[in-house]
Amino acid sequence: MNLPLFLFCGLLAILVVLLVWALRGPRRLRKPGANLTLLEETGKRHVNFMPQIRQALAKTDSLYLSRKAPALVARRVRQERRRIVLVYLSAVREDFHNLLRMASVIARLSPEIVALHEFERVRLTVMFSWRYQLVRLQLRAGLMPIPSLDGLSDLVSGLSVRMETAMNELGKRAALATEMASSFNGRGSDVA
Amino acid sequence: MIAGVALIQQFLWVVNAVAGTFLLVWLASRKNHLAFPAFSFYILVNLTLGASVYFIYRRWGFSSVTARRIAWAMVFVVVCARALAVAEVCRRLLGRYRGIWALAWRIFLASTVLVLLYSAAAGRHRWELVLPSAQRGMELAIAAVIVLLLLFIRYYGVHADPADRSLAVGLCLYSCFNALNNTILERYLYSYAVLWNVLGMLVFLASLFLWAWALRSPQPAADAVEATLTPEIYRSVAPQINTRLRLLNEQLNQFWKVEATRN
Repeated sequence: MNLPLFLFCGLLAILVVLLVWALRGPRRLRKPGANLTLLEETGKRHVNFMPQIRQALAKTDSLYLSRKAPALVARRVRQERRRIVLVYLSAVREDFHNLLRMASVIARLSPEIVALHEFERVRLTVMFSWRYQLVRLQLRAGLMPIPSLDGLSDLVSGLSVRMETAMNELGKRAALATEMASSFNGRGSDVA
Repeated sequence: MIAGVALIQQFLWVVNAVAGTFLLVWLASRKNHLAFPAFSFYILVNLTLGASVYFIYRRWGFSSVTARRIAWAMVFVVVCARALAVAEVCRRLLGRYRGIWALAWRIFLASTVLVLLYSAAAGRHRWELVLPSAQRGMELAIAAVIVLLLLFIRYYGVHADPADRSLAVGLCLYSCFNALNNTILERYLYSYAVLWNVLGMLVFLASLFLWAWALRSPQPAADAVEATLTPEIYRSVAPQINTRLRLLNEQLNQFWKVEATRN
C-alpha cells in the first residue's frame, strides 16, 4: 500500500469515526420552552459555592487534623477531600456545559454570528475537555496533590458579578424571543 | 466464475432499477418530492442514466473505450446531482438558523475545495483515470461536508428530523464507500473492475432501502425561522461567554500550577 493510498484510507477512517461520534448521543435536545429553564439555571452556578469548597479544602484544616487526629482519620479526610475536588470538577464542567448551551441558544437565534467567537469557543471546549480528563485521571490515580483553591474565587467572582447581570438581562430577552419563535414556528422543537 | 459474476451484476442492475423506481414512486406518493426536490431529482437522474448506460453497453459492448468514457461522464453527472441533494439536506437542517447557516455554508464550501485539491494532488495522474479521480474527490468532499454538517448539528444542539438525518447518513456512507471503492479501482484497475461494480451496486441498493425507510412518511417542506435576537445581543454576549469559558479553563489550570509548584 503506497503512501497516498494509505493517507486516503486514513482520511476515510477519520470521517467514519467522526460520523459515528457526531451521531452518538447528541447533546441534549431540549423541548420548546426549555430555553427558559436553561437561562434560569445559568444564574445558579456552582462557582457560587466556592467559599464552602475552599473551607473544605483549606490547608489549615488539613494541618490541624494531621497534628491532632489519628492517622486513620487524617487518611479518611484526605479521601474525602479528594472526593470533594472530583465533585467540584464535575460541577465546573457542568457550569462550562451550561454556558456552552447558552451560547448555542444565542447562536441559533442570532441572524449573524462571528466566526472568530465561534472558533474560539470550539478551541476553549477542546482545551477544557482535554484538561478536565487529565486532571480527573490524575486525581483519581492519586498522582496529583489535592489543590488549594485559594485565589480561585477572587479570580472568578470579579467577572461573575458582571456576567450575572448580563445573563439575567439576556435571559429575559431570550425568553421573550423563544416565546415568539415558538408561536411563529409550529414545529417549535428546533429552537432547543 | 466470470460468467457467474456477470450474471450477478446483471441481476443487481435490474434489482437496483426496480428499487430506484420504487423509491421514486414512494417519494411522489407521499409528496416527499416537494420536500426533497433535489434528492428526488438525484434518484431520477440516477435511474435515467443507469438505463442509458445499459443501452450504451449493449450497443458498444463492455470493452468499448467509447462506452466506458460515456459511462464515466454519466457517473460524474450523477455524483453532481447527489452533491445537490446533499446541499438540500444541509439547507433543510441548518437553513432555519440564519447565523449558523451563514457560517456553515462557508465552511462546507472551503472544506469541499480543500478536499478536491487534496484528491487532485493525491490521485494518480493518468489520462484514463481523470474521471474516476474526479468522482473520488467529489465523493470524499460529499462525505466530509455531511460529517461537518452532523458535527454542526451536535455542537449547536440543533434539532434534526430523523428523515433528514437518515438521508444524510445514507448519503455519507454511500459516498465513503464509493471513495474507497474508486481508490482501490484506481490502484488495481482492470482486475478489480467487476468486483468494484458489484460492490457499488450492492451498497447503492442498501442506501436505497435506507432512504425509502427514512422517507416512509410525508415530510414537511423546509421552513425558515426568523432570527429573534438582534445582532447586538450576540455581539455583546458571545465575547462575555467566551471570557467566562476561559475563566473556567483557568480553574483547571490551577490544578497544573499546584503540580508545577510541587515539582
